[in-house]
Amino acid sequence: MSRSLRGLTAALLADDGSEHWPTAVPHRLESLLATIPRPARAGIRCAAAAVDVYAALRTGARLDRLTPGERDEVLASLAARPALLPVLDALKVPVLLAGATERMLQRDPRPAAAPPASDDPPLDCVSSSQWPDRSTADAVVVGSGAGGAIAARTLARAGLRVVVLEEGRRHTTADFARRLPLDRFAELYRDGGATMMIGRPPVLLPTARAVGGTTVVNAGTCYRTPHRVLARWRDVHGVGLADPAVFAAHLDNVEHTLGVAPQPLDVLGRNGLLALHGAGSLGWRATPLRRNAPGCKGSCQCVVGCPTGAKHSVQLSVLPDACSAGARIVTSARARLVLVDPDRPGGPRAAGIAAARPDGSRFEILSPMVVVAAGALQSPLLLRRSGLAGHPGIGRNLAVHPATSIAGRFPDTVHDGPAVLQSAAVEELHDDGILIEATAPPPGMSSFVLPGVGRQLRAGLEEGERLATLGAMIADRPGGRVLGTRRPVLRYDLDPVDGASLVRAVAAMGAVLFAAGAEEVLTGVPHTPTVRSTDELHRALSNVTPRQLHLSAFHPTGTIAMGTNDQKAPADPRGWLRGVRGVLVADGSALPSCPEVNPQLTIMAVALAVSCAAAGSV
Amino acid sequence: MSTRGTAFAETMLGTLLLPGKTEPRRVRLDLTVRAEQVLAPHRTTNARVSGRVRIQGLADDPDATGEMEISPIARRRILYRVRFTAAGRRHLLMGWKSVSLRRPLTSMTVLPYGVYVDGQQVGHGTLRFPLASRLVPFLRSWRFPRQESPSAYAARWDGSPGRTEVWYTTLTDPVTGTGVWLHHELTAPTGGSPAYAHGWVAVFPPDGPVEHARFGPEPWSDPSQGFTAAGTEVRPDRLRGTAGEFRWDLEQDPLGQPLYTFPRWAWQRSVLPAAHMLPSSGSHFSGAVSHPGGRLSLHKAPGATARIYGHGNARRWAWLHADLGGGDVLEVVAAVATRPGLNRLPPLVFLRLRHRDRTWPRLGLRSAVGWAGAGRFRARIGLPVWSVTGRAGLRRIRVTVAQPEERTLTLDYADPDGSGPVCRNSESADAHIVLERWWGRWRPEARWTLEGTAHAEVGER
Repeated sequence: MSRSLRGLTAALLADDGSEHWPTAVPHRLESLLATIPRPARAGIRCAAAAVDVYAALRTGARLDRLTPGERDEVLASLAARPALLPVLDALKVPVLLAGATERMLQRDPRPAAAPPASDDPPLDCVSSSQWPDRSTADAVVVGSGAGGAIAARTLARAGLRVVVLEEGRRHTTADFARRLPLDRFAELYRDGGATMMIGRPPVLLPTARAVGGTTVVNAGTCYRTPHRVLARWRDVHGVGLADPAVFAAHLDNVEHTLGVAPQPLDVLGRNGLLALHGAGSLGWRATPLRRNAPGCKGSCQCVVGCPTGAKHSVQLSVLPDACSAGARIVTSARARLVLVDPDRPGGPRAAGIAAARPDGSRFEILSPMVVVAAGALQSPLLLRRSGLAGHPGIGRNLAVHPATSIAGRFPDTVHDGPAVLQSAAVEELHDDGILIEATAPPPGMSSFVLPGVGRQLRAGLEEGERLATLGAMIADRPGGRVLGTRRPVLRYDLDPVDGASLVRAVAAMGAVLFAAGAEEVLTGVPHTPTVRSTDELHRALSNVTPRQLHLSAFHPTGTIAMGTNDQKAPADPRGWLRGVRGVLVADGSALPSCPEVNPQLTIMAVALAVSCAAAGSV
Repeated sequence: MSTRGTAFAETMLGTLLLPGKTEPRRVRLDLTVRAEQVLAPHRTTNARVSGRVRIQGLADDPDATGEMEISPIARRRILYRVRFTAAGRRHLLMGWKSVSLRRPLTSMTVLPYGVYVDGQQVGHGTLRFPLASRLVPFLRSWRFPRQESPSAYAARWDGSPGRTEVWYTTLTDPVTGTGVWLHHELTAPTGGSPAYAHGWVAVFPPDGPVEHARFGPEPWSDPSQGFTAAGTEVRPDRLRGTAGEFRWDLEQDPLGQPLYTFPRWAWQRSVLPAAHMLPSSGSHFSGAVSHPGGRLSLHKAPGATARIYGHGNARRWAWLHADLGGGDVLEVVAAVATRPGLNRLPPLVFLRLRHRDRTWPRLGLRSAVGWAGAGRFRARIGLPVWSVTGRAGLRRIRVTVAQPEERTLTLDYADPDGSGPVCRNSESADAHIVLERWWGRWRPEARWTLEGTAHAEVGER
């Protein structure tokens, strides 16, 4: 543990020795940093070292040797410089993650989640270390997330020998119930959740890596694809399977599989109820979300794997069906290349997959059909590594949901009793591309960052139980790119129109919170961190740029888009990759544009449609 | 299609791990690989595999067979699929070398594989090519043998008018000395009329008159394999048909390699007015031939089936097929073409002697044109005796053929242009062949005398 990090942690959390938990934070922070990419880790260490040097220059001693008051002075002098606030915020995020976990461990009387009532449905999972170096299949599915699982099930039911490759490993509900949220967070998320899109502004884009893909860590929100989106895909992009009448049947199928239903109010949680109440007071449309967690017990840990098994992630709902139909899942297997036979009559044809085990050894599976379902960030890379990225559209057209969140401080405790992590939606502005969802993730895992440093931050942490959080996501204009071959390098510039929508969303969320009775709203805006009225919020936002907001992004899609225009769309309207035969795209990459809602149902329905058509043509 | 194939032998050693066992079993693979084309690394070559699979305590199958897909650059893969028997069950050993430019040596010598029974994997392992001990034998085993077309019996006719294609078989019953001639012909008239199939059968008893009957003509139905028309059939392994009172059903057992009477390229590319070849230099025929004078029961009767494809018959020609015993065969065609210019030349002699598994003269055109005419073989075409003499290298040959009139059948041929030469054929002719070799002086090397077992023909217009 470096002295700089230890000192920085003590400074940020205003560790005055009165409580024991802050002393355990540096070790937890260290283990957290070990999971994030090396450049990010190095950046945090450098920043911590820089703060330490500043402290040494200013006071003659390093941070860990200073008194709590002196540390507070040092940080306050840094926070007084607006240009340094983004750096301090970047340092606060991991410290808050670790700090909130330690605080919860040592102070929170809430009991651990109850063990699941029954075991998970059986899966035919084989670790790549047990998988032979050479094997064959009728279809190899790369990725076991929303798209891959449905494709595997469809193809297996059609009688094909299906092998699913998954880079992550299998996590059972019992595992989730047994382990701390932060430990699960570090293991479930790719790069420790620190996947960053480079651009103006830089934005975090967390994705998961596990059997079940991102459905393991999403909130379980299941929106049907809006009619206007499907009509656009059909009419503008020429994707016939998106015809609303046809697509509805696929959505019904997926909803039935996942057990999608509106979230009952009894376990909605006060965060969601406040959102509904606030929206109701304003006369806005709001409703409990439809979710794939019919027996949700309100553990409020969806984003680190449901500890009760109530959320029907695909590893609990779709993959068991796929396995019972004969599919096999190879875990800890990273797909290196799509093998291609370039000299086949009729043009190049997929021949299988070359994959790597964690120890670096390699294995291959020959298969005439390869289903690419590694997610919108990884699928283009796989094609690029395989020499199949000749189409200029591969990796472009990246659509995400830029999101921001704010919190409202209420007189009473908000986090009391069971609650759904993402519980209710305010849909008043949805037609304008703004969807507000009440979201209350585990401590420290919110995209909302508490304001201040030192004592102010510590006070915010202590009073966190009284905070209600709302998040808003924007239907963006696709403009990002996925570069690189081994690791994704994401380039994304926020469209000015989307930026304006984000500022408008902050205002709307503030209005809801004040209408629900919030004493003050924590805006996340550096120069006006708190406001106490709607007017004050509007004044604060009048000169705010999107770069000043705490932004994150979710739901990457569209990087191997389907479409009839072979100049723009790398995949044809039936999901087949252009330029090679036998490669089917069946994940979020295939979506022609932003789905405007949480995309799990949409991705699964698209995967169902393309894999059904593929199974019919095999 | 490539005229040469590829053959090599490969040995690989390694281990097999069976499920539930911790101790791997030793494995040895001795494979002979044959491909019908020259192996080029930049493309994919499919090959047949045969050899021996030995797995310690489990299998020792010397009759393993399978396939290989050799594509080290195009597909970066060398795939093996070998079937063998172990414990009374058929097993499949399948794996492939995954060729990597970063690790060429390892990737070209290491073969991870699986063993399957009824599609289920029952074991896996890795085989390695032992460079130190097997590289030299491996390299020395490489051959590029000539490849024959999939079937020399398949019809060559491409629909062009003015073509003749012939499948004919001649044999001698070793018991009775009776000669048999089965002639199957496809004629595409020059004027563009529909092609038709016809032919005849003739029997040459040693002590009786020659009998024959014609079949056809009937429209050509373009069978994909061999000749099938007018109630008769010619396949690589079988000949059967009826013509008048004749009925025959014979199994054909090819014995030798193809023998190209004319140069191989002449047959393959149809650049000469006509070309003649034997799909097999000799065959044994078993079965029966019924004819008005009796019934021949044949058992391993020596003979041969020949193929002709071209624009028609020659202006004048002589032909001999002599089965010399012990697999030796002499095939002679001496002909004067009908084409202007060529018809002024003396008879061009195409002589091929298959003797002690070697074909002499080595070059197909040597006997016909010599060295710009010098040293060409010479023919004296006549009846009842005709002869051929010639010298190539250190050998010279003298062939004398006698076709006694009572053992000769005279038939009218039909050319595509409507003209008709007359052919005099005997499947019970006599022949005297002397082969000499220069060793300070000409010394006799071999001498054959065939009495009533030579197959010969003389035709003229």
